[in-house]
Amino acid sequence: MFGAQQWANNKAAVPHHIVYKSDEGAILSNMSLQALLMQLLSGLSGGMLIYLIAVGLSLIFGTLRVLNLAHGAIYMLGAYLCVWLTSSLKPIPGMFWWALVLGPFLVALFGGLVETVLLRRIYRWHFMYQFILTFALILIISDSVKLLWGGGFRSITYPWPLDGSIKVAGGTFPLYNIFLVAVGVSIFFGLRALLHFTRLGKVIRGITYNREIMSALGENVPAVYTEVFMLGCWLGGFGGALATPLVTVSLGMDMAVIIQCFIVVVIGGLGSLTGAFIGSLILGLLDAFGIMVLPQLTIAFGFILMAVILIVRPYGLLGKREYE
Amino acid sequence: MLSIQGLVKKFGGLTAINNVSFEIEKGELSSIIGPNGAGKTTLFNLITGHLRPDSGKVIFNSKDITTLPPHEICRLGIGRSFQRTNIFPRLSVFDNVQAAVLAGQGRCTNIVSFSKNLCREETFHVLEMVELGDKKGFPAGLLSHGDQKRLEIGIALALQPSLLLLDEPTAGMGPEETAGIADLIYKLVRHQGLTAVFVEHDMSVVFGISQKIRVMHLGEIIATGTPADIKGDAQVQRIYLGEE
Amino acid sequence: MVLAVGLFASMPTFIDTSWISVFCEILILTVAASGLNLMMGYTGMISFGPAGLYAVGAYTTGILIVRAGAPFGLAMIAGPIVATVVSLIVGWFCVRRTAVYFALLTLAFSELIHTVIFKWYGFTKGDDGIVDIPLPDFLSSIDSYYYFTLACTVVCLLAMWIIVNSAFGKALQVIRENPNRAEFIGINVRKYQLVAFVIQGFFLGAAGSLLCGFSHSVFPTNAHWTKSIDIIIACLLGGIYHFYGPFVGSAVYILLDKVITSFTEYWSLFFGVVLLILVLFFRGGIAGFVSERLSSVTHEGS
Repeated sequence: MFGAQQWANNKAAVPHHIVYKSDEGAILSNMSLQALLMQLLSGLSGGMLIYLIAVGLSLIFGTLRVLNLAHGAIYMLGAYLCVWLTSSLKPIPGMFWWALVLGPFLVALFGGLVETVLLRRIYRWHFMYQFILTFALILIISDSVKLLWGGGFRSITYPWPLDGSIKVAGGTFPLYNIFLVAVGVSIFFGLRALLHFTRLGKVIRGITYNREIMSALGENVPAVYTEVFMLGCWLGGFGGALATPLVTVSLGMDMAVIIQCFIVVVIGGLGSLTGAFIGSLILGLLDAFGIMVLPQLTIAFGFILMAVILIVRPYGLLGKREYE
Repeated sequence: MLSIQGLVKKFGGLTAINNVSFEIEKGELSSIIGPNGAGKTTLFNLITGHLRPDSGKVIFNSKDITTLPPHEICRLGIGRSFQRTNIFPRLSVFDNVQAAVLAGQGRCTNIVSFSKNLCREETFHVLEMVELGDKKGFPAGLLSHGDQKRLEIGIALALQPSLLLLDEPTAGMGPEETAGIADLIYKLVRHQGLTAVFVEHDMSVVFGISQKIRVMHLGEIIATGTPADIKGDAQVQRIYLGEE
Repeated sequence: MVLAVGLFASMPTFIDTSWISVFCEILILTVAASGLNLMMGYTGMISFGPAGLYAVGAYTTGILIVRAGAPFGLAMIAGPIVATVVSLIVGWFCVRRTAVYFALLTLAFSELIHTVIFKWYGFTKGDDGIVDIPLPDFLSSIDSYYYFTLACTVVCLLAMWIIVNSAFGKALQVIRENPNRAEFIGINVRKYQLVAFVIQGFFLGAAGSLLCGFSHSVFPTNAHWTKSIDIIIACLLGGIYHFYGPFVGSAVYILLDKVITSFTEYWSLFFGVVLLILVLFFRGGIAGFVSERLSSVTHEGS
């Protein structure tokens, strides 16, 4: 009913299908060190892109205890905004970078609006209602995107000055992907720094641990919730913007990516940001090497791992037991 | 009837229950008192299977129940009311008790007959006992606090337990209601042959109806005796200094 | 209930064919949603993955008819039975977890089933789906299939009514209200949850089989998680705490969909807003809202 056909077939919108095929093709028996290295790099960069998207989801769940289904739609919004800003306004070289700054910021504002008007009311409610509310948001956001930008496919090229590739171990690898890895690592350390060394970060960690106590200590908990949600949306939008040179920007990319995010967040542990990092890398590498080994089942690997983790160790690799 | 042997329970670095042992005789009405954090609720949780001890044994009617899951322990005849009201809010008072009656009789696997008509007599009987007969159609979540606590006890009673564990049954109640509950507990033990152990902070109830009192402090039982013994115990007074 | 059945039974004489198939869809969704609601509304177990079991039922029937040439009746019964077996396996793993983890695990399994169906081309013909599934002659017209579906739906709902009003049904509600307390009135919560899961599987599989006959085809999208959303919304829209909630929800959902899609392509937007209103203001669903109104009216009267 919801056009599952369209989404199920929209494999091109899934970021983890950035697989860089080595010059020799992907046959296990002919594996050379070079090809393996290529796959490793592509797995890492693919994983890093997923991290950039999933970390927002993890942050929001960790602090607000809300599983934001609409995070994929936020990602899509970020992607569309970036493409629109880059190609539809003055096409100056380097426009991408302005879009990268502005787009996620707009997404974060939108997120703030959503949080204050809608989400705030339902924090105390059963998670099923959060599920439906955030699903409703998916519908609204994706149709709004359709309304504003139509249903076609879009793409942009690698932005200057990252449009080249570098030579790695005999093959070539896109510079942009290396850039992604760098950004991912920076965000990882940046978030850690935010949470551990700033006052806001300490408040966030306090609230994650015990909301009531923080409120009693005079912290403006609702405002912090809004800020965290906005940060999470910013991260999602940022991921979307960064993904634009690599994936096909089209309707349905939200649905495709949210499942990947869920897998990552489950593997790493609901609420653990470091876990999201590790989970993304695992998923990225699993996909990259899975395509070489068992291409038919690659899609299933993620779900299998997700199921295994939920059965054996539901709070993920690095999650805390308290969530159970 | 109930034999606690060397129970130990630690939570991380904190030893909540430190080598506790005691015996409960059949037909005994006893209470456990102690300052907050002494481990009383933890002790109950260990007995009823909600927690597993690190070491030690719980023997009920010569059967080792230490590692059994709660629903099996319940089947063996131990009923419990909880500290924080633990009822079924959206169901009516009648349904709350009837469910317990049905479960106690093992009839909950019955998938065929309409439950409305099952065990009505027994259910009404329990409702009368806790004086909630006139409220049987009320959604349990809308009852007053005192009534909810009565319902708590009613649910525990509906299982026809031989041993009743009551965790702060009169918490939050006014003096009249408290007296009513105390009276109920006393009657249940005296006239119906139940064995009851209750945790309480209200000393009028404790000293009013207990045959035996055990005092817990920091995970250990530091005194056991009749109300007169405990009243005169210097150590107990020291612990409660500033509390009463 | 008898009134509704009578109404539905008389439909084909008054309404033309295109609407008959709409009502057929409603009935199929009702069966699926009622099954899911046994878990969601009565036992309090929120599942994100009913579509997987639904598709298992549909594919079982489809594959049996097309590849094994099985007689229609056998294929129809096999659908729910296979779905029941699968739900036993899946459920055994799932009920060991609670709340969010349970939900995510059902999602993982559902997506796994979806992936298997999608990828196992040799067996399920993957993305192409299985098409042109033949039905026996006496069911070849949409009218007759409608009656068949109606009969099946009535039987299913009757069974559900009995289950829900039995002592077992009460036990499930008790588990929903307070699983810890339920444990301590002697109910082995996990076992009961598993049984509820399996019963849900049966109903979902039955709905899937009915769908297979209805659309003469099965596709992997029947297992996609968006299908799960359909079923969940049908429950919520109608009201999860009422027996007829899933039916009301299914009817409203499908009718609303038909109406909205006929005058705009932005039906997602409308639906999203409808859902928002539902979640924020009408958590009891339509049935909940109606019964609240009715009870306030009767109270005023007395």
